Amino acid sequence: MIIATALILLLLALLGAPLFAIIAASALLAYSREDVDLSAVSIEFFSLAEMPVLVAIPLFTFAGYLLSESGAPGRLVRVTRALFGWMPGGLAVVALAACAFFTAFTGASGVTIIALGAILYPALATAGYPDRFNLGLVTSAGSLGLLFAPSLPLILYGVVARIPIDDLFVAGVLPGLLMLIMLAGYAVFVNRERRQSFADFSWREVAGALRESIWELPLPFVVLGGIYSGYFAVSEAAAVTALYVLIVDVVILREVALSRLPGIMRESMLLVGGIMVILGFSLASTNIMIDAGVPQRLLELIGTYVSDQTTFLLLTLVFLLVLGAILDIFSALVLVVPLLLPVATSFGVDPIHLGIVFLATMQLGYLTPPVGLNLFIAGYRFDKPIVDVYVSTLPFFAILLISVVIIAFWPDLSLWLLSLS
Amino acid sequence: MLRRLSRLVQWIEDGALVLVLVGLIGLASLQILLRNGFDTGVAWGDEAIRLMVLWLAMLGAIAASRGDRHIRIDILGRMLPRRLQQAAMLVVDLFTIAVLVVLTWQSVRFVRDAIAFEDTLLDGLPAWWFQLILPVGFGLMAVHQFSIAVLRLFGKRATSEPIGGDSP
Repeated sequence: MIIATALILLLLALLGAPLFAIIAASALLAYSREDVDLSAVSIEFFSLAEMPVLVAIPLFTFAGYLLSESGAPGRLVRVTRALFGWMPGGLAVVALAACAFFTAFTGASGVTIIALGAILYPALATAGYPDRFNLGLVTSAGSLGLLFAPSLPLILYGVVARIPIDDLFVAGVLPGLLMLIMLAGYAVFVNRERRQSFADFSWREVAGALRESIWELPLPFVVLGGIYSGYFAVSEAAAVTALYVLIVDVVILREVALSRLPGIMRESMLLVGGIMVILGFSLASTNIMIDAGVPQRLLELIGTYVSDQTTFLLLTLVFLLVLGAILDIFSALVLVVPLLLPVATSFGVDPIHLGIVFLATMQLGYLTPPVGLNLFIAGYRFDKPIVDVYVSTLPFFAILLISVVIIAFWPDLSLWLLSLS
Repeated sequence: MLRRLSRLVQWIEDGALVLVLVGLIGLASLQILLRNGFDTGVAWGDEAIRLMVLWLAMLGAIAASRGDRHIRIDILGRMLPRRLQQAAMLVVDLFTIAVLVVLTWQSVRFVRDAIAFEDTLLDGLPAWWFQLILPVGFGLMAVHQFSIAVLRLFGKRATSEPIGGDSP
């Protein structure tokens, strides 16, 4: 009976039912099976209002959407170009660095490809890079930077796993840099013949680009400096960022007209609402699963087949790759982490390390069919068939896969910076 | 008439969303200013901020329902032949509406209990004022899902667009 309803729900999900409805239905069914009053689902849902860290989610998301609607993407490209443009393959490195930086703020929801891809893709073509390379680069860079503060998935992992978010922000730095450097290395290697660099390095251009970005420059210092130094709590940094971006883009630079603001607010809160209803109902369904002892049974089941940490991590990687191909990162986080975390801890995996591995692997999910979000957005945005987009991302995918394996089997890469503080 | 009503509802939904988000940014910033500058703070401020986040989540979810843009998987649906796809969509819509109706009803009971027990939030205000967003929100989501299902049934709406990949 339980299996039959689970299969029906799975089928409905695959047919395209909203995930929140699937999770709410499974919570309602589980509660009625355990003879708990069904209004307990509403009570659990309302406990969303008892989690102080959640406030960071709407504030950072709004700030990211607002930034992407302003002239900030263009200025960001100019600054990175002034700094890295002189290298062979320089513009490719520019693209990667700018995307990573921007994704950290926009929370990897596909906004990066829309906001930055539109600038970088034609710029790469003008500079003479091959089309296939450009398409792959822009598509895969669209979710790079997921591991850098203050990205939305990092915050969400902290919420679900009940881990201090500041620790996750520190832990993500080196693994995130590894991914960035490996992709940049590949980009430089492929374009090593392209000796003629994109632009000469000039202090004047650096100064000009920096002066133009004078209003955005404080942002990383406020967010990263404030959080890493412990001056701001994460939620406070989010509030400061939202207010600051609002004032700069609407009042000082006037790049976003006041009349467009409601639309941007609505668009960003649509994503927030979509994630948070799933989170709310999964709070309910997770509690009933824990009451029913599902994690223990899962642990026993896995324990009969797997005995050492290496095998466990390897299996986890494969599982997450498949998961990432069918579920978006937010739903996967909320649904799987509560079950995976106790099992991983019993195999001696550090919860923070698990979080970094989880997100790094899910980042690949943006590039894997059938539901890789970046593939669709890039195909739509640059008017290319999905298959073309997919094939062109393959080398980038392979490199990211290697970096994920390194991240998974080298826990100190995630944990070393934390051990210093 | 129906069109005018739906426009009014949309106006109220969007207005509430903008109002709560602006209020959230304002109050959260004020708290920081007071805490760091004057070593004080609004006593009920942090609780109000958390309630506003919940409200925003619901208002965002309502907007997502209205645009049929909730997070979903949809692998099988796309592979089915057109006729079958339409039938599947109908089943999926009916399922979603049913879940939302149950959620609305259970939230009504939740709020009713809070009224009966005279629960309070924010320094003595009745808790149900704030909890009301649950039945209202799920109810509106059900209505939106219903009108989308009707439109789809008459072929006015082909497929749904996913969240995040916003239509530029």
